[in-house]
Amino acid sequence: MALPLPDAGVRMTALVRHDTTLMVREPGPVISRLVQPLVLITLMHPLYAAALAAQGPQAGTVQVVTGMLVMFSLLALSVVGTGIMTERAWRTWDRLRATPARAAELLGAKAVPAFALLVVLQTELIGFGAVAFGLRVPDPALLALAVASWALALLGIGTALGAMLRSQSELNVAYDIGGLLFSALGGALIPSGELPGWARVIAPSSPGYWAMGALRSALRGQAAATLRDAAVLAGVGAAACALAAWRMSRNSSRSRLL
Amino acid sequence: MRILEASGLVKAYGRQRALDGFTLEVAAGEIVGLVGRNGAGKTTFVEVVAGLVRPEAGRVLVCGADALARTRAARALTGFSPQETALYPAATVAEHLRLFGALAGLRGPELRRAVDDIAGRMDLADVGGKPAGLLSGGQRKRTQAATALIAERPLLLLDEPTVGADPATRARLLAVVTDRAAAGAAVVYTTHYLPELAELRATVAVAQAGRIIARGTLGELSLDHVNALLVAEEAGEEDGDGAAAA
Repeated sequence: MALPLPDAGVRMTALVRHDTTLMVREPGPVISRLVQPLVLITLMHPLYAAALAAQGPQAGTVQVVTGMLVMFSLLALSVVGTGIMTERAWRTWDRLRATPARAAELLGAKAVPAFALLVVLQTELIGFGAVAFGLRVPDPALLALAVASWALALLGIGTALGAMLRSQSELNVAYDIGGLLFSALGGALIPSGELPGWARVIAPSSPGYWAMGALRSALRGQAAATLRDAAVLAGVGAAACALAAWRMSRNSSRSRLL
Repeated sequence: MRILEASGLVKAYGRQRALDGFTLEVAAGEIVGLVGRNGAGKTTFVEVVAGLVRPEAGRVLVCGADALARTRAARALTGFSPQETALYPAATVAEHLRLFGALAGLRGPELRRAVDDIAGRMDLADVGGKPAGLLSGGQRKRTQAATALIAERPLLLLDEPTVGADPATRARLLAVVTDRAAAGAAVVYTTHYLPELAELRATVAVAQAGRIIARGTLGELSLDHVNALLVAEEAGEEDGDGAAAA
């Protein structure tokens, strides 16, 4: 009579396919995140190139590409958190929780298509920078490490917010304000060296600061600095994922559901 | 053989005790119709057994395994359909069935057979490619029930599965549930429609204020007696409300 527990791999495959399908069926947010930064990079490149000309011919291009990359990938967090929030609003999360799938599997399955989106977004912007403005990539492997660690950190933060916050409006506030704040503090809009003194002091508290550091270092071919900043990002991502898994695995009561 | 053994369950939401010593056993092949007014503890009980809510006290065994300590193992033995319809608007009926079938451990040809079988039995075959957001109310009800029934499990938890359903939907669902019980599944079926319990040949458990106050076959209790219990409970509550107000 007793059924064996199904393999985690089978469950994960089914969940990833399902979550990818849902993302593809509602492509609006994804298309928006992929197109907007291209427009801004194109329009703002001359401004950054002129402002940072004294620092070398690549400085303006590196700043505008990495800056827009960090800002729009932070804004793309909404895709991750909203996926969890809508599951709660549709009450399908409890349907999934009542299956043999672990909370980590449910979150992991949501993370796979979101991770792919974040990597595609970053690859698209760097590729666009290279083709349109001659951005040089001296060490693609180093840059891939920076991109992957930033995507991991974003996934963790987005998942934790989706798990911790109670409504879509709370989530929107967190993404809009947090995304802009983390971008600005990280030096995505203005190079961190040009920020006010107080902002430079608190800048390392922003994951965007470490992302800018990892991406810039990778584009300069500086392995040690890239590894250090990528390690910080991976740590942030792992801690946030653990927090989200802990929150989602707790038994919820109806009074706490949306 | 007892499939579900729940005893002494206590669960409070704030000051409100949703379960207050709730005890219920269901044997293989038995359908227990769990009835009671809103707030009697039926849904909380089902959610505890489904592993969605952790009680403050009590014990739940599914096929002899401690469902509160080994939640995932118990979930693998349980098919669950919650009270409120919970479907993905953009996913099709067939995608729902494949997802929940795969999560239940079905794969390959076995999964395809199960999807075809349950879709046919629940009259969903013609709408398999339709997104849930475009389904009628009855089709949504049948889809939700089908996701709980797609794999043959020892225990089925069906929380008011026919609320708002048309007669055809109800008849389809009751037929599948009856067949599953005949194949050996234990079924907990909460409802406010007492005639359904006669159709299901269910035994009846009457819940009140977080516990079971009467339990027996329809022959032992009779629908009139169950109705009388529920009406008396309602009258008692109204008296209590009046006394409290006074």
